[in-house]
Amino acid sequence: MEIIWYVLAAAGALVCAALAISAKRLLVSAIWLAGCSALVALLMYLLGAPEIAVIELSVGAGLVTVLFVFAINIAGDESTALPVALPKPIPWILAIGLLALVGWMVLSKLMGGEMPPDYGETFYATLWTSRYLDVLLQVAIIFTGVLGMMGLLAEGKKRPAAEAPGSDEEHS
Amino acid sequence: MSNYIPHIILGVAILLLGVGIYALLATRNLIKVIVALQIMVKGAMLVLVLAGKMTAQPGLGQTLALTVIVADTIVAVIGLTLAVQIRRRFGSLDVKDLTRLKR
Amino acid sequence: MSTPAILILLTLGLPWLGALVVWAAGDRTEKLSHTLAVIFAVLSAVAGLGLLLQTGSEPVQLADLGGVFGPISFVPDGLGVFLSVVATFIGSLAVIFSVNYMHGEKQLSRYYAYMLFFIGAMVGLVLTSNMLLMFVFWEITALCSYALISFNSDDPKAVAGGVKALIMTQIGGIGLLLGALVLYIYTGQMDYNILLANPAAIPAQLLPVMAFGFLVAAAAKSAQFPFQTWLPDAMEAPTPISALIHAATMVNAGVYLLARFYPAFHEVPGWTFSVMLVGLITALLAALMAVVANDLKRVLAYSTVSQLGYMVYAVGSGGIFASQFHLLSHSVFKALLFLAAGAVIHAVGTRDMRQMGGLGKQMPFTRVVFIIGALALAGIPVLNGFWSKELVLEAGLMHAPIWSYVLMLIGAGLTAFYTYRMVTMVFYGEAHGHAHGDAGTAMKIALAPLALGALTTWLLAGPFAKLLSAETLPYHGIEAASTFHILEEVISLPTLIALAVVALGLLAWVFRSKLAGLGRALRGLGWAAENSFGFEAINRGIVRGVSGAAEGLRITQTGLLNWNVVGIVAGLLIVIAILALGA
Repeated sequence: MEIIWYVLAAAGALVCAALAISAKRLLVSAIWLAGCSALVALLMYLLGAPEIAVIELSVGAGLVTVLFVFAINIAGDESTALPVALPKPIPWILAIGLLALVGWMVLSKLMGGEMPPDYGETFYATLWTSRYLDVLLQVAIIFTGVLGMMGLLAEGKKRPAAEAPGSDEEHS
Repeated sequence: MSNYIPHIILGVAILLLGVGIYALLATRNLIKVIVALQIMVKGAMLVLVLAGKMTAQPGLGQTLALTVIVADTIVAVIGLTLAVQIRRRFGSLDVKDLTRLKR
Repeated sequence: MSTPAILILLTLGLPWLGALVVWAAGDRTEKLSHTLAVIFAVLSAVAGLGLLLQTGSEPVQLADLGGVFGPISFVPDGLGVFLSVVATFIGSLAVIFSVNYMHGEKQLSRYYAYMLFFIGAMVGLVLTSNMLLMFVFWEITALCSYALISFNSDDPKAVAGGVKALIMTQIGGIGLLLGALVLYIYTGQMDYNILLANPAAIPAQLLPVMAFGFLVAAAAKSAQFPFQTWLPDAMEAPTPISALIHAATMVNAGVYLLARFYPAFHEVPGWTFSVMLVGLITALLAALMAVVANDLKRVLAYSTVSQLGYMVYAVGSGGIFASQFHLLSHSVFKALLFLAAGAVIHAVGTRDMRQMGGLGKQMPFTRVVFIIGALALAGIPVLNGFWSKELVLEAGLMHAPIWSYVLMLIGAGLTAFYTYRMVTMVFYGEAHGHAHGDAGTAMKIALAPLALGALTTWLLAGPFAKLLSAETLPYHGIEAASTFHILEEVISLPTLIALAVVALGLLAWVFRSKLAGLGRALRGLGWAAENSFGFEAINRGIVRGVSGAAEGLRITQTGLLNWNVVGIVAGLLIVIAILALGA
């Protein structure tokens, strides 16, 4: 009967996601995103991946939410009740079309069956031995991301107001 | 009943993807765009973890999902920084006001 | 790790580390940028020279990425080590030269960073034995070349030159990637030594595809026919860059590719003939264009293309040793000529030779080294250009049709003609321009070793042959011989004929007023040469067509984010539909 948990978590994640994008205030949107992250983390734990569930919970529901709150505070939290910029049907047609196509393609080929027992390496073994290059690349990405963020944030401060916007960065 | 779990997870992942893409098409606020990206990536992560479990290699699935989380968080960081800078420079986060890259 | 592994890592890693350090140091103090760049360049040159002592044919694996990519492996064999020594050594000399040439310029950190990045990538390109990695390094050199050509990004000609170079060499890069993938599909690995040992590993229908794909890649990279138009336009780059990239290293990558894969492809019907033909046509066309050019760097650019044609011709005729020996000599004397020309241009402020003249008295040191380089280029005896060019012509005489040999001889005469023209227009005659003093100290430090090299590298023929012999290159069939033995081959009747043709070329310039009638008769040819035989027109037509199409498609750029996403999603839908319905 444990499938009920799956269904609940899945439905909850979807509801949170839908509310996140339709919320009028940006802060509320960020909170719903945190809820969605938490439920997705629950799903991953149910799937038998507790380590990644914890990471997703702390990063997705914690770090990213804090980031959003900071950014929204700096950038201003106007309520957005603006109409859609494109002709009304286009987003719906494209999104539903994509869903239908991918859904048909994937689910029709999927056979129901028992989940096989785990015999691969544990998470820690995989991460640190056979995929160590991944870890190095992740560290590199994190450094570049932080450097990029610092570089971007420094742009506004150094230039005097007279200079035209969009002057080239030296480091390009 | 447990043989429907893959269907449920895949269904959720695809629907999350759909929600994200609809949001990218319909939203006018830049920060909402970042939210939409985050939602889409959660769907991708779910598929990766599921794939790891289905092929009896949970370690590999989780490792790949970890890479996705890291990369995607950095995307959110840079995206939010850009949004903040755009707000400072152009004064608005509305997509309709940011159309300088056109003909 | 073994000594070769450490040395390879140093030779490749030091320039890259230097690039990072110089870039991070920023533009605060000009002197800091200069000093850091010189230090790292010289260190890498030392590492490269150390590698000379550690050559072998055993691959060195640094890491294994598994799957398609294969191991990151390098082989310190003779061909690779010699080219990496050329790259690092001439690279460090160009960096030293830049200390004077780029004095007072802005954004030096970007300049030096790209330069060092390029040197490292070139070393990696010639040392690696993993084809996919070779492709990656190939593309990195193309990127650095583009970035350095359009270094003066305010000058539209520089940017146009850079973009043109990038597009043409990228077309070649596709040929290389294709070859790498074909190799992987049929042998399951990316190591090209498998192919060299056994060309039959790839079925006979596909080997020509790979062979000609590589020929296209090499022709595009080395500015051979029909891709020769990008190199003269790349002369908008600062002169040390022209010396490094477009004379001594990057353009040699094409010749290196052909020489490296010769054992695999020489049985493919028509390949060696095509290679030879491409070299021949290029050598002649470029020599003709050099005769009528008035921009000093353009003359040197055309002469580079022409000499590369000689090397390609030698590969097509089976003379791998001759082509590599000429590559060595050419790198030295062409870098010398470019750097000396840089000193002249820096002093006079213009590149047009008609506004120079009589500079010999004002710039004595530069005049001496320039003349040494020019004598080597023309193929005057004792200098290194003479020995290597004669070896190339001998290879042609023995293995190629006789008409091609005659045409290459005529090319040698033309070379002498335009070289002498260049020297007299710049350093002798009446002074149309004024030089602000002779070359600076750093320039002299860079020029002196090169001049010495032009006078002496031919003495290294024996050790050079030993380097390229079967000890390190098991599949190329080059025999080791002593210097005397090799040089003795050159002193023979065909050489005397060649010398006579060269002398004829020199005399033709001296007596040009008497030959004015002949000049008038050939004026049509001269006009065609000035317009680069129609290739520029083709180029402009293609550019116009593409711009027109782009203008028409501009309407899709509304600038609105949502419309852009519509484009993405629509494309995704089409792809998934194809997948779903086609599966």
